[in-house]
Amino acid sequence: MKDNFVVEMLNIRKEFPGVVANDNITIQLKQGEILALLGENGAGKSTLMSILFGLFHLDQGIIKVKGKEVKITDPNIANKLGIGMVHQHFQLVHNFTVTENIILGIEGSIVLKIKDASKIIKDLSLKYGLDINPNDKIEDISVGMQQRVEILKMLYRDADVLIFDEPTAVLTPQEIHELMKIMKNLTSEGKSIVLITHKLREIKEVADRCTVIRRGKVIGTVDVKDTSEAKMAEMMVGRVVTFKVDKQDAKPGKVILKIDKLSALNNQKTLGLKEFSLEVRAGEIVGLAGVDGNGQTELVEALTGLRKIESGKIFINGKNLTKSSIRERNETGIAHIPEDRHKHGLVLEFSLGDNMILKEYYHPPYSKYGFLQFDQIKKHADDVISQFDVRSGRGNASKAATLSGGNQQKAIVGREISSNPDLLIAVQPTRGLDVGAIEYIHKRLIEQRDSGKAVLLISLELDEILDLSDKIAVINHGELIDLVNANETNENEVGLMMAGIKRGEGQ
Amino acid sequence: MKKELNEVTKSLIATFLGLLAGALLMLSIGSNPIEGFTYLLKGGTMSIERIGNTLSTATTLILTGLSVAFAFRTGLFNIGVSGQMLIGGLCATIVGLTLDFPRPILLFIMLIVAIIGGAIWGIIPGLLKAKFNVHEVVATIMMNWIALWVVYYTVQAFLIDVQETQSADLPAVAQLKVPWITELFQGSSLNLGLVVALLAVIFIKIILDKTTLGFELKAVGFNRDAALCNGIKVSRNIILSMMIAGGLAGLAGLTFYTGFAENMQIGILPAQGFDGIAVALLGISTPYGVLIAAIFFGILHTGKGFMSAMTDIPPQIANTIIAIIIYFTATSLLIQRLWVKILRKKKSKKNAKGGVD
Amino acid sequence: MKKTLSIILSLMLVVALLAGCNGGETTEDPTATPTPEPTVEFGDNTDFKVGMVTDAGTIDDKSFNQGTWEGILLAADDFGLDTKYLKPDGTTQAEYLTEIGNLFDAGYKFIVTPGFKFETTIFEAQTKYPDAKFILLDGYPHVGDWAPVVAENTVSIFFAEQEAGFYAGLATALQLEDGEVGFIGGMEIPAVQKFNWGFQQGIAYANDTYGTTIVMNADNFIYEGSFSNVAGGQQLAAGMFDKGVDAIFCAAGGVGVGAINEAKTRAEGGEDVWIVGVDVDQYADGIYDGTNSIILTSAMKGIDQAAYDMILAETYGTFPGGEMLTYDSSNNGVGIPSENPNLSDDVVTKVLKAFDEVVAGTIIVASEQGSLIK
Repeated sequence: MKDNFVVEMLNIRKEFPGVVANDNITIQLKQGEILALLGENGAGKSTLMSILFGLFHLDQGIIKVKGKEVKITDPNIANKLGIGMVHQHFQLVHNFTVTENIILGIEGSIVLKIKDASKIIKDLSLKYGLDINPNDKIEDISVGMQQRVEILKMLYRDADVLIFDEPTAVLTPQEIHELMKIMKNLTSEGKSIVLITHKLREIKEVADRCTVIRRGKVIGTVDVKDTSEAKMAEMMVGRVVTFKVDKQDAKPGKVILKIDKLSALNNQKTLGLKEFSLEVRAGEIVGLAGVDGNGQTELVEALTGLRKIESGKIFINGKNLTKSSIRERNETGIAHIPEDRHKHGLVLEFSLGDNMILKEYYHPPYSKYGFLQFDQIKKHADDVISQFDVRSGRGNASKAATLSGGNQQKAIVGREISSNPDLLIAVQPTRGLDVGAIEYIHKRLIEQRDSGKAVLLISLELDEILDLSDKIAVINHGELIDLVNANETNENEVGLMMAGIKRGEGQ
Repeated sequence: MKKELNEVTKSLIATFLGLLAGALLMLSIGSNPIEGFTYLLKGGTMSIERIGNTLSTATTLILTGLSVAFAFRTGLFNIGVSGQMLIGGLCATIVGLTLDFPRPILLFIMLIVAIIGGAIWGIIPGLLKAKFNVHEVVATIMMNWIALWVVYYTVQAFLIDVQETQSADLPAVAQLKVPWITELFQGSSLNLGLVVALLAVIFIKIILDKTTLGFELKAVGFNRDAALCNGIKVSRNIILSMMIAGGLAGLAGLTFYTGFAENMQIGILPAQGFDGIAVALLGISTPYGVLIAAIFFGILHTGKGFMSAMTDIPPQIANTIIAIIIYFTATSLLIQRLWVKILRKKKSKKNAKGGVD
Repeated sequence: MKKTLSIILSLMLVVALLAGCNGGETTEDPTATPTPEPTVEFGDNTDFKVGMVTDAGTIDDKSFNQGTWEGILLAADDFGLDTKYLKPDGTTQAEYLTEIGNLFDAGYKFIVTPGFKFETTIFEAQTKYPDAKFILLDGYPHVGDWAPVVAENTVSIFFAEQEAGFYAGLATALQLEDGEVGFIGGMEIPAVQKFNWGFQQGIAYANDTYGTTIVMNADNFIYEGSFSNVAGGQQLAAGMFDKGVDAIFCAAGGVGVGAINEAKTRAEGGEDVWIVGVDVDQYADGIYDGTNSIILTSAMKGIDQAAYDMILAETYGTFPGGEMLTYDSSNNGVGIPSENPNLSDDVVTKVLKAFDEVVAGTIIVASEQGSLIK
């Protein structure tokens, strides 16, 4: 029975000053299975995998590989033991070919035997159904394909155990589906997989067993086929989670945002957004679906004033804001939950209180004769904190950097919504957050809609778009592919549109 | 607050390391560090006059330190304090040598023109940064040299009395030295400049901590992208920050050339401008920190000669010890930051390797 | 930005260290000066310590500071005195006064200060420290109004630089016979100007009296503007040599060092170029291939001698307090080096003849510009 396990981590304990990151955790990976590792951010998944990789040294516990106790003090040891990791962020050289990337950094291959390597890669690709051409340059292939190159890297290095760290975050639904197939191919060829994720649907689709971790402890390991998504979610969060966002039908009102043939350059100075037109009405959520890098950033930045507009117009409540400054747009009623909360959303060194007035510090009641009114600032921060359930060590005086990601995001959402904007532009509002926080933020976005405001939701998570939106706009290569009612479409159709195929064209 | 305490601790450790480095150097030339440091401290503090000299040396450093610190807070590295000092000092000197007003009015005008002169010298790199993205380090260094030669030319062309290498001495009414302070501190060079410096400390403290202006500047300093995204005009703040930093440096020039000295010598970039960087670093870029750091450096500078005179530590070594203490103090803060960065990089590299190899 | 800062600061640290090492190493140098006479007579009063505050530049500046310090060390050695020099942070009166105070508080009450920049400082110090004695070289105390106030505890000493320049010019012209000469000055201060003017008069005298045909072009008489810009001196010298100048008289401290370096490089390459040194005998600094030096001769002023003389006087209790002394040809206070390997005997003889005539008053070297170049 025991021989069956390829990797066992038994009674692992790891402490950091003040925190027990892993408390007596045991996980066992069977030969040829996909084991999902499910947990919220900060639950201890990464720490556990870092220990398996030799990046952290465990305080207590035993690691066994193929039944033999091992000491992994160094990533190289992990590699030699046949453990490989597919990272969330690919580590590829863009102007190198697939082969070159794969053999990059392997010792003893200074004299490159590219032909031999290409052959091996080709064979591996065929064996596992990866469909990779070894001679393609990375910059010419899609994100999904790049991920497969990462997988090939591991296979080329004879890894038997593959760890996938949140692998689907960057993929279209179709690509996700493909990946799931590949993972199954891998296991049927004898590989074993650990899948780190917080997406229950993927676990349900692909995993055999699922170990749930919460706050550094194993809550349980379940057979996936016998366990409902709701049950797993409950194990992860520690309470019952409602999945479907409860919402009434939208009652769209007048047009709040009107985008008229908007064009903008991308960072490569070519048109990243091409004559894009869209309307968002009061009382509705319009979701913008699209694969990353198809003009979403350009659109958001053009709307918020961060990017120069080449042509076209923007109106809020009929007022032309095309040439207005960022602040004028804020004052006219645009609020913006930025995609990157650390880069754009918060000043991490500032207190929570200061961050809550980042847009409004200059006018009463927060400022009087150029002096900050600290009482008012604190009061406002406390209001947002209590209304939006922002948890922090020292309330409004906490440094923003000390908050967890979820609470930082809640703070941003709180700040933006509390300014009572006519239009809320929410970009990836739940990226990297745990289920609890996602649920909460979704509820708030719906509330915003229900209070008669317009919401433009931009997300790479199709589920989020489908769950929340009343209308779905799909963007591809900077162009609007289509605008459909959410209740008249499905994931598959939107997925195709995301790939640039207009309704009716594909089928 | 805890973070801040941390920073203070770091500064203290840095100071200790700097003193330790100085001690090692003393040992290496066969001198007794305890004796050396005793005379160093005595030289800076053992008489009223020496305390006065310490404060007088610190006066300019407070202002240059404030200038650097203020720009730091907005994420800018003002290495052009020397040039701004020169221009501020030049403006004040011109006024002092040419206008004939009652003393309070004259001094007030000198104060204002020193601020304006320094501010103009700060605004130019600010504008270049904001409009054309010219790095302020490059621009401010260039401005230093321009200032040096502007002063050179202006002094030689218009302000020379007899000696070709310096401006005419300012009349007593146009100097910051006042008899009662000179007498109180037994003939030390201490002057009204200290009052100016202390007021500047309070003023900058209020700006940074209490005003919307300070809020904006700090937001830009900590996170330019977030500031921009939230509607703060980043360019305007960069220009404004350099203007205020320049103004402070101009004041430093006022205290140096019309208080500490009584004329402007040409061909010299004042070292206080560069020492300001160390003062700002050691003072963790806070006004009060700068004040304390400047006084510390004041003691070192004033006591150094006495240490040299009383021991066998030759002046070059004494200078080196001071330089080591100052720069080790400042750099050890940087080294500490760098170290953290390197560790982080190493870790992420390891992480990467873990996946790749 | 942080990166830049750290680089700059570490550079500063390195520079500071290097500067320190350099200073430490060369401090000992001046002591190496040979003592000409084995036995010296001196007075009974040897119970005083001699201090010196350096002017801008270092103690080993091959010029003013070093000359003064060598004189002090020589005297200290001969009379058995304690010595100490201090280097101020800058060149303001406050900084000078601080170091004078440091010397005084440490018991060094016979204080030598080289350079005109000490004028107002000594004015303050001579009343502030009545127990101390001050030697001010190249200047006299005043309150800022150029009205001399030499107190009883102060001696002010001047040099007839124009005479030294004259001999150097004469020697240069006689040795070269034809060709072109130039001048590089530091700052345009009286001492430097007088060297320049004397040098021109010496060249002219040779042309008139001995029929040499040395050309002086106004473009080649330049004040660099500082005493420290080594690179600037090198550039100026290169420019002049390129224009065909054969010898350059440098009265410019560190700027002259640059010119000397340039001449050395050219001499190594086979070019026939010369530098005329200043203040002290700079022959050794101009050696480029182990034996030969590009220093033709040097216009010397007896800084060391002045310092030595004053200390000697103090041992006899005859310190000439309150006086303004001038060191010139008549009291052997200026001249060219006694050894001149690059001058022919004939040239030296002619220069000595001129020296006698200056002492006798038959040659008068003007200390004013008159119709001379700059």
